[in-house]
Amino acid sequence: MSAFMQTLVWGIFAGAIYGIAAMGLALVFGVLKILNIAHGELVMLGGYVGFWAFTALGWDPFLALIVVIPAIFILGIILDRIVYRNLNRLIGEDKIKNSLLVSFGLGLVLTNLAQWLFTGDERSVQPSYAGQGLNVYGVLMPYTRLATLGIVLVVTVALHFFLRKTYPGKAILATAEDYESAELAGININRVYMLTFALSAALAAIAGQFVTFTYALAPSIGMYWTLKAMIVIVLAGTGSVLGALPAGILLGVVEAMSGAYLSQTYKEVVGLVIFLLVLILRPQGLFVRK
Amino acid sequence: MTPASRQSSLFKQYRRWLVPGAIVVILIFAIVFPQQMAQDNIWNLFFLMSLGIAMGQSWNMLGGFAGQTSLGHAAFFGIGALVTRTLWFHGTPFVLAFIVGGVAAGTFALIIGAPTFRLRGAYFAIGTLAVAEVLRITVAQNRPFISTMPGDMISSYNLPARYWVALALAIATTAAAYLLLRSRWSLGILGVREDEEAAQASGVHVLRHKLLALGLSALFMGFAGAVFAYKQISYYPEAPFFPTFTFEALMIAYIGGVGTVIGPVIGGAFFVLVRERLAANLTDVHQVIFGVLFVLVVLLLPGGLLEIWDRSKRIMAKRQTKKLQATRGAEDREGGP
Amino acid sequence: MSDFLRIQDVSVAYGDIQALWDVSLNVEEGEIVALIGPNGAGKTTLMRAVAGLNPLRSGSIYLADKALHTLRAYQIAEQGVILVPEGRRLFGGLTVLDNLELGAYPKRARQVRADTLKLVYELFPLLADRRLQRANTMSGGQQQMLAIGRALMGVPRLLMLDEPSLGLGPLVVESIFETIKHMNEQGVTVFLVEQNARQALELANRAYILEQGSIAGTGVAQDLLNDDRVQQAYLGICPAPEA
Repeated sequence: MSAFMQTLVWGIFAGAIYGIAAMGLALVFGVLKILNIAHGELVMLGGYVGFWAFTALGWDPFLALIVVIPAIFILGIILDRIVYRNLNRLIGEDKIKNSLLVSFGLGLVLTNLAQWLFTGDERSVQPSYAGQGLNVYGVLMPYTRLATLGIVLVVTVALHFFLRKTYPGKAILATAEDYESAELAGININRVYMLTFALSAALAAIAGQFVTFTYALAPSIGMYWTLKAMIVIVLAGTGSVLGALPAGILLGVVEAMSGAYLSQTYKEVVGLVIFLLVLILRPQGLFVRK
Repeated sequence: MTPASRQSSLFKQYRRWLVPGAIVVILIFAIVFPQQMAQDNIWNLFFLMSLGIAMGQSWNMLGGFAGQTSLGHAAFFGIGALVTRTLWFHGTPFVLAFIVGGVAAGTFALIIGAPTFRLRGAYFAIGTLAVAEVLRITVAQNRPFISTMPGDMISSYNLPARYWVALALAIATTAAAYLLLRSRWSLGILGVREDEEAAQASGVHVLRHKLLALGLSALFMGFAGAVFAYKQISYYPEAPFFPTFTFEALMIAYIGGVGTVIGPVIGGAFFVLVRERLAANLTDVHQVIFGVLFVLVVLLLPGGLLEIWDRSKRIMAKRQTKKLQATRGAEDREGGP
Repeated sequence: MSDFLRIQDVSVAYGDIQALWDVSLNVEEGEIVALIGPNGAGKTTLMRAVAGLNPLRSGSIYLADKALHTLRAYQIAEQGVILVPEGRRLFGGLTVLDNLELGAYPKRARQVRADTLKLVYELFPLLADRRLQRANTMSGGQQQMLAIGRALMGVPRLLMLDEPSLGLGPLVVESIFETIKHMNEQGVTVFLVEQNARQALELANRAYILEQGSIAGTGVAQDLLNDDRVQQAYLGICPAPEA
């Protein structure tokens, strides 16, 4: 029984990271109506900033979020202005297709830049309290994972509050619903897009920071995390930003269970297969009312 | 008859021979030049160019003609490589292994095609990406050890032979693309690209046309993978399934001019040439430069390099018309009949 | 009175298809001007062009002395030119109050937001009642009121309405036109497009007729109401039989 609970708990912890990794992508897809394949690279870069803060400044990884978030937020602004802004004039199918290609090229650029700057070696961050944690009825819960889950929950609530209760947040939601009406109301939608993209980059960076001490960090992990994020947003339903968290946790739990009871080696495949099935059978996702 | 118009009719006479003539010249060059140079790095370069052209052409059949953006083409490349390599190493003559490899890729495509085509646009794209990744992970788990040619194959390794096969494939794929555009299915396929609903309403069996484009595209990408398996002395079995190969095919098609037959030819030659040049001088940064180039092309030149050619033709045509108007104007002023 | 809105030789095209051909019209300050014409004439295209959603192929649009055709849509809204688009186009997932507040996004509107909101609630008491209701759960008439209310939150100098009566019952339409008249009396210049030619002409001071992308006629609204051709084409009145 406690083995089952342990697996479940591991799944939830992993799923929390999947959730926040996906939230930014969901936001970009819902508001800008583009698919950013380079999202995983933003996760990766966030991780590297955190890694640098740990090794060069000796900062605790959670503390380093203070640096990681603004750094990648600014990177998001830069990328929007240089690259993604050019897509704003397109609409619909055209826009999505072009965004796929552009972001894929950008992803290549970022991955190779990272490779050149940081070399391809795998990095990892281990804070001093890495091994310690709670032990509840035989279920291990490391402090790092608990803090991760906690921060993810806080960020999710904060994002909800920002979008639904603040003026700029509502402007973002309005733009996502009907960008022409938003412009007619006096909202500068290019600026909304830029802000939203930067926000999604910041969310990706938070995920990246968690990745450094939960998994390993290397320039090549971008595509892996982009795919993970995509699986989650399809499970959540492509209109749902906050649904990314429960969907991510669901994916994490399913993967953990498959790993424990089916086969450790194929647990990644399980996620992808579920993704394909949901995509084909229920493209609006699991968490969106039909 | 004024000198200007006599000039243009002569030009028109010769214009018919321009394209076939150019093709013959290019082919002769492609056959003779590497033999004259007889250097390994030249054979290699031309091999990569030919393979690039084949990959770009095959992606183009699905992505350019039918408008279905596939991000999982590495799946077909990988299947072709895997099947061919396995058969060939177990004693099957290469030609047979090659054919089976391509057919395996095509068959796989047709099997997953029907369910996958229920997805549209962006969803189809990421769906194909997921399929390719599923294959890659499965192969990586099942065949983790490097695949190396047996000793006798290495000692009898003939580099020029590899080039001839790649060249033949490039020619065959280009011919197939050309014939596809001339076939009775071409209107249907292009119609699906432009507007699926309208095509359906006009009686085009959308799924069948998509499957045709997919099948051919996968077949030739599979052949390209088979050629890869033929050339590489050693590689990890999961390597040909890497998204890198999808993206190269994609980039070549776009840089050259997606949706045209000559586009991937230009793109393949250009892409590989520039890449090898950059790789030689700027090993670390060349991929970055390519990424940037790709982004620029998608944003600014949706027609790829071909668009530069098209635009300059249009500018030339405008100048020609102005010249004709000027001379006619001069005639009028001089008091013609 | 000076020309407030001046549309000069405006041509608009969708790709290769031209929708408007050298359209010129003007609206004076304090007026209500109507634009009538058959379906597909280009009335909505013209409205969207003024609002900045459609780029001009040629021509110019001025508000007083300020060039509008070089501005982006949100900047035009900031200038006080607010369009209530065809079909309402509300932010359905947001509440009534959210929609109204977002209407006051431009800086000059935001400063007086609280006062404007009170005004809108006085004009449309049912919006006050439903302020926390989600916009897409309201009826067509209620949504239209919200759309107009949202536009009013932008403190318009020129209020443009595209087919405000579309899909609404006669009582609601009447109430809406009353409101428009009231706003005009408060100093808001109005430019509206209407399928319902009779109501438009009864409300407006002057009108233009747009047919197939060009201005086919113009005049004082009262005169147009009595004009034979207008009566036949747009008011459903058959000519009297020859005696």
